[in-house]
Amino acid sequence: MSTAIPRQESAMSTAVRPIPFHRLLRVETRKLFDTRSGKVLTTILIVLSLAVVVVRGVVAGPQFELLSGTAGIVFGTLLPVLAILTMTGEWSHRTALTTFALEPRRVRVLAAKCVPPLVATVAACVLALLVAAPVTAAVAAVQGVRPVWTVELLPQLGSIAAMVLTTAMGLALGLLLLNAPAAIVIFLSSTMVWSFVKVMLGSTGETLAQWLDLATACRPLITGDMTGLDVARLAAATLVWVVIPLVVGALRVSRKDIS
Amino acid sequence: MIEFDRVSKTYKEVRALDEVSFTVHEGSVTGFLGPNGAGKSTALRILTGLSRATSGSATVLGRPYAELECPGLQVGTLLDAGAQHPGRTGREVLTLGAMLLGLPRSRAEETLELVGLTGKESGRAVGGYSLGMRQRLGIGHALLGRPKALILDEPANGLDPQGIQWMRTLLRSLADSGCAVLLSSHLLHEVEQIADHVVMIGHGRVLAQGTVAELGGGRGLEQTFLDLTSTADRSAQ
Repeated sequence: MSTAIPRQESAMSTAVRPIPFHRLLRVETRKLFDTRSGKVLTTILIVLSLAVVVVRGVVAGPQFELLSGTAGIVFGTLLPVLAILTMTGEWSHRTALTTFALEPRRVRVLAAKCVPPLVATVAACVLALLVAAPVTAAVAAVQGVRPVWTVELLPQLGSIAAMVLTTAMGLALGLLLLNAPAAIVIFLSSTMVWSFVKVMLGSTGETLAQWLDLATACRPLITGDMTGLDVARLAAATLVWVVIPLVVGALRVSRKDIS
Repeated sequence: MIEFDRVSKTYKEVRALDEVSFTVHEGSVTGFLGPNGAGKSTALRILTGLSRATSGSATVLGRPYAELECPGLQVGTLLDAGAQHPGRTGREVLTLGAMLLGLPRSRAEETLELVGLTGKESGRAVGGYSLGMRQRLGIGHALLGRPKALILDEPANGLDPQGIQWMRTLLRSLADSGCAVLLSSHLLHEVEQIADHVVMIGHGRVLAQGTVAELGGGRGLEQTFLDLTSTADRSAQ
């Protein structure tokens, strides 16, 4: 136990300046990985993606584009969950008190929280390509088959964009609900609910999904043949699942009493 | 200097704070006393810009807290020692704080030493900390930016007698160096040892304020407090 008298510098030697955004960004990025749950989730994400690519390679043969896309199945689920946990973490553990006491400009904190999951999503997609390449070569060598290296640029970029939008949906749901279990359940069950809607309502359900289900609206983006109508549909789904919940959630957090 | 000027807060029907006014001057350690539910935490959250007052104003160092430039470098706050991510280590909590305030990483180490957390303790996840250790960590977090005002909500909870003694020495020396210290508590005996001034609150209203000697009046703070709160209870009914 220390009873030492603290050395308090009586006058501040440096001028006090508001916290710059890059510093918030560094701290929020660090918060993603500095807890046990953050470390576990990151490890699972990496190991599972690698495993999925290798297994798919062995089963389906050395097809580069197919393999790199396979990792996306893991990312498409886990990165939005990571995004939800990032957004809701301060409320699950009530650390919002500390965070918003250090930076009362709350919307800046929220903006800083949005960036790392989005950057991680792009990085994960690039990493998937980098991992798929040696796996394709190795599987080809082992199985004695000619590898297929064909890659189409537009669908590749489209899948990355779709992945980024899916992560953004996670962020938006997290910010709107400020409750991790609720946001995760809604995110994970949305696929099921939409397939249910399509079955129950037939062509009406199909039309609804094209306009309002982000995953359905993203499909033309991934196949690389967007028409003008597809752009409008994607914009509508993005408005509903990303823009509106982000704006409503941010307004609510900026006004509410933090406790 | 910390100043409350006729601060009121109403939640739907309930009046949580009713025209609360008091001042904490530089060099003073002021105890903000009241039973649970009296409105202490509400008042401190309004003071730190986390809640809005329905009317009235609260200022720290002459300005509303949220308008201070990088408030963490001017005002130290501990609003709930229990509000920590259980999976983060104590050292990491202070490192994050130091990073955000633009202080060197060494400041986290200095602070650990100041609040008496050993290297081994600081490397453990906060989830395994006792309340006393969380209080030390929280006080350390509040002191990172070498503040000129200090706002602590229930910092004495969970501290053992040595811990109380330690906190008295620490807060006294901070006040002597010109800091204005405000701490809330429902533990009267502990506050009597730590504070020089006292503000008593019950049902959202300031019941009495003055020096510990004035309010203790030979009978001790506890008796004065019980007298005041029982009157307040009766008048509230």
